[in-house]
Amino acid sequence: MTSRPTEALIESLAAEAGPVRPLAAPLARATRLLLALSLLFAGLIATFGDPDALAARFAERELLMAAETAAMLATGVLAVLGAFALAVPGGSRKWLAAAGAAALTWLLLSSTGCFALVADRGADGWKMDGHADCLLFIVTAGAVIGAPLLWLLSRARPIDPAPVALLGGLGAAALSAFLLIFFHPFAVTVPDLGLHLAAVLIVITAAALLRRRALRPA
Amino acid sequence: MGGEPGNGGESQIPDSWEDLLAAAQGGDQRAYRTFLMSILPFVRAVARRHSWSDDSVEDIVQDSLLTLHRVRHTYRPGHPVRPWLAAITTRRAIDAGRRSGRIQARETSDPSAYETFADPAANSVEAAQAAESVTRMMNELTPKQREALELVKLKEYSMAEASAASGQSVASLKVNVHRAMRRLRKGREAEEES
Repeated sequence: MTSRPTEALIESLAAEAGPVRPLAAPLARATRLLLALSLLFAGLIATFGDPDALAARFAERELLMAAETAAMLATGVLAVLGAFALAVPGGSRKWLAAAGAAALTWLLLSSTGCFALVADRGADGWKMDGHADCLLFIVTAGAVIGAPLLWLLSRARPIDPAPVALLGGLGAAALSAFLLIFFHPFAVTVPDLGLHLAAVLIVITAAALLRRRALRPA
Repeated sequence: MGGEPGNGGESQIPDSWEDLLAAAQGGDQRAYRTFLMSILPFVRAVARRHSWSDDSVEDIVQDSLLTLHRVRHTYRPGHPVRPWLAAITTRRAIDAGRRSGRIQARETSDPSAYETFADPAANSVEAAQAAESVTRMMNELTPKQREALELVKLKEYSMAEASAASGQSVASLKVNVHRAMRRLRKGREAEEES
């Protein structure tokens, strides 16, 4: 492009520049989305949730389950906040580390729960306790959460779409997994954990594959 | 942060980068031009710091300006411009480095392939005539066709990269490249006949 003098480029850019509406602060935009999702989640849980099954699942391991749920929610929230932050130029890449650390904590706590179950039940801990529907639930809910998320992220036209797509996918998958807890009356065994992981990876991979189309780079 | 003073010299034009860019977001083309001109030294300095060769600096600067133009709505008035601007330029320098690495990994330079005659003087006359002819034909293309051709055929961007750099969709890029090639071909045939 050096054949086109920079000054001439500036003249043409200035000549075609119309007014643009500045985007709101990334964290404010992310918070608005998270609030909307909270309302949706609350409505779904109030309508279709099974509090007795949830209480039974938490029974005798309340602390571990609460920590796992908190890590899952933290992963979703941090990943969504980070995706919005990184979608605009100058966003800190520390969001990647923060969401990654939360995801690792979530994985460790889930694994702890699974292997505690193996210790309790022996060979039964290796059997699938839930349903393969969990995978479908996370993938479907991930798509439902991910679609508006990617649309909102695309409005910033990220200059580096890869980490934005990665965090967006992780956020959608983690929030879907969080929602699943309220509809999933089973203890998570090792195969269940593998299935959950596979679902999360499917959502992240889909976001990464869609990034060129959905997050058209600037 | 106080940016460098604008070079507009008129009282209505703000003098800090932040105010200039905020005015540009409101549609003030004069403020935008002043802003782009006044940030050039800073953008060049950042590009130079991240580029692998002096030849690539101006390419990175121009890519950065194009990107800035497309994402100027992401600047939040009242916030410092420099980190925002540095992030854009650094990103484009990294992209340019990767693109160059890919090209160098796949291609080898063979200067003799461009020679028509053994006598270098004959080549330079031919080259000058060809350059003049190509320039004339390129000037006959529409701006979008010229841009599509430059990005896809001369800079060898992928369709996705060219689409990102130009703001044209992949489909319209393909159409514009096709039409540009057809016009160039017709132009060459006309010159050969005359």
